[in-house]
Amino acid sequence: MLTFRTIMIGTFCLSLALAWIIESGAADVFLEATRPDFQKIPLGVAGIQNFGGAESLEAQVRLGSRIEEVLKADVRRSLVFSLVDLPSVGIKVSHLGTGPDPSFKQAAEHGVAVIVWGKAGMKNGGKDADVTMDGYVYDAGSDEVVGGKRYVGSPSVVRLMAHRFADELVFRYTGEPGIARTKIAYVSEVGSARELFVMDYDGYEPRQLTADGFLNLMPRWSPDRRFLVFTAYRNRNTQDIDMIELATGKRWTLVSLGGLNITPALSPDGNFLAFASSHEGNSELYRLDTRTKALQRLTVNASGDLSPSWSPSGRELAFASDRSGGPQVFLMSADGSNIRRLTFEDDYNAAPAWSPRGNWIAYVCRTPKKEYKLCLITPDGQKRVQLTAGPGVDDSPSWSPDGRHIVFSSTAEGKSQIYMINADGKDLERITFTGTHNSAPAWSPAS
Amino acid sequence: MKRLQSTISLSLALGMILLGMAACAKKTVQSGGETQSSQSGAAKGSSDSAVIAESSQNYPDTALSGRDASGGLRGLDKNPAEERVGGNSNPLLAKVDPGSTGRQLEEIRAEQSASAAAGLRDVFFAYDSFLISDEGRQALSRDAEWMKANPAALLKVEGHCDERGTSAYNLVLGEKRAKAVRNYLVELGVAANRLAVVSYGKERPFCKDHAESCYAQNRRGHVVVRAGK
Repeated sequence: MLTFRTIMIGTFCLSLALAWIIESGAADVFLEATRPDFQKIPLGVAGIQNFGGAESLEAQVRLGSRIEEVLKADVRRSLVFSLVDLPSVGIKVSHLGTGPDPSFKQAAEHGVAVIVWGKAGMKNGGKDADVTMDGYVYDAGSDEVVGGKRYVGSPSVVRLMAHRFADELVFRYTGEPGIARTKIAYVSEVGSARELFVMDYDGYEPRQLTADGFLNLMPRWSPDRRFLVFTAYRNRNTQDIDMIELATGKRWTLVSLGGLNITPALSPDGNFLAFASSHEGNSELYRLDTRTKALQRLTVNASGDLSPSWSPSGRELAFASDRSGGPQVFLMSADGSNIRRLTFEDDYNAAPAWSPRGNWIAYVCRTPKKEYKLCLITPDGQKRVQLTAGPGVDDSPSWSPDGRHIVFSSTAEGKSQIYMINADGKDLERITFTGTHNSAPAWSPAS
Repeated sequence: MKRLQSTISLSLALGMILLGMAACAKKTVQSGGETQSSQSGAAKGSSDSAVIAESSQNYPDTALSGRDASGGLRGLDKNPAEERVGGNSNPLLAKVDPGSTGRQLEEIRAEQSASAAAGLRDVFFAYDSFLISDEGRQALSRDAEWMKANPAALLKVEGHCDERGTSAYNLVLGEKRAKAVRNYLVELGVAANRLAVVSYGKERPFCKDHAESCYAQNRRGHVVVRAGK
């Protein structure tokens, strides 16, 4: 299964990357614009050993290698570290204990800055026993073990232990909380209905949140990660904007105006809900003050305005509008003033998503070949690049909270599935593999 | 470089125009304006702000009360204490009530069989378009005749789109298609309060292949007899 998955990803990445390089010709501009201002930190994972306790030897081996695999994937996706294969740089680890292996001393001269390792096992044996995982961090600069972690939990949270450890590593070296424990909300087909789901950022542990039997669309997170806002069809005939509490499944209706009520987005401080509604005729943008319940109309024109996306400061909104023909991306102040058009290339640009660092807006662009792909543009309109290429419809870009990745849906391989890609166009990775339709991903804020 | 300059000047010019438009965009909504689906006119007697207040009185505060910069991380430790992961409060465990799925399916089936019995015709659209073709007009003439023969019946027009384009923009396009169908039926003499419109965008396709033959089936104004609420 995993090998198959890896091959799938590899082949797909390669073909897409080639297609992108050949087609866009924008590589120089792009790399210059997004190159991180720090060097990645070379990190090696020496292994996660088993200390026993699990029912069978096979289960023990799986436990350690499972944690190691999750940890390595998290380290790679952090983009803070570059994952070093220790044997290939001449570091042969003979024994993993609580202290550093003698071979670690050579790490610095081989350019490896950090080595992590650990051990895992079932605490007391038996079926319902807890799993314990110890992780250690060796810093080549100071030639010492700088610290570690000890996690305990049920076997069902083993992946989460690895994610926590990965986030601790990112936190230690950058002061940022990391993205390994973030979630992705999305829409998935259940029978002929479309329901809300949430999964881990790497596509594992999917959970169904709604079972209305009709359509629930376009989830977006509250800034504290407790809620999702989304479009719900009540009785199939009217669209409301609902909110669901993840911990309890409790639901509330925030907007029930009649007509089309779509693309809700809570402001970064959580005090305003921006959304599109056609209850006054055609689709316009509104802003609901979630404290006073006052509703303010933000746009006035005869065309369709939709898909508001907040700037990280909460002072501006990007949105899509077909006021100049096909849909284009516009910007405005959060009170509806100072509207200006941002995109001018081609005749279809929609679904804008403002990056959490504020420096890019991702959106769906229709290429001259009439393919719907992802593009990035700076808020001043000075730089624009096409991020994906090839067949299929790409839709619903959403940024990781660290601003280094974008999750989106694509029909590149037939059915709509969810993918992630780095903001520099590298490491395209498919993250949903089951079901007939997965779409509208929304990346959670960091925890 | 030249293109960049022209882009900037164009955006400046457009910005000036839009700035002018934005000046009148600050009005706060007091009441309902044009009601989108006129059949619900009676139910919408109250103002929109009242509807908002009614449905939203009790929702919890969504304001961010301040964020822990460490994201709940405790840092590495030379002598790490045991940290419980997951614990007993699973943060993302929701109750799923599959009760309404069956009801929805039953109602959809009732709508379908009533519409099939009535022999209602659908309207098909060109790519990116919401203009009703001659063929569409003929179909709607038949639907209008049926409405005259069945004065108690209520119709719903569903706007559908093919899979190309964004999910969100297709919902807007689907609504334009549904409204175009409704408006033409009104022109033919059907009372507006017997016609509801709803857009399903590309979310409920009739056909799922990635081919024009399939896309053509999905770009449609689907006319159904309303059943249930």
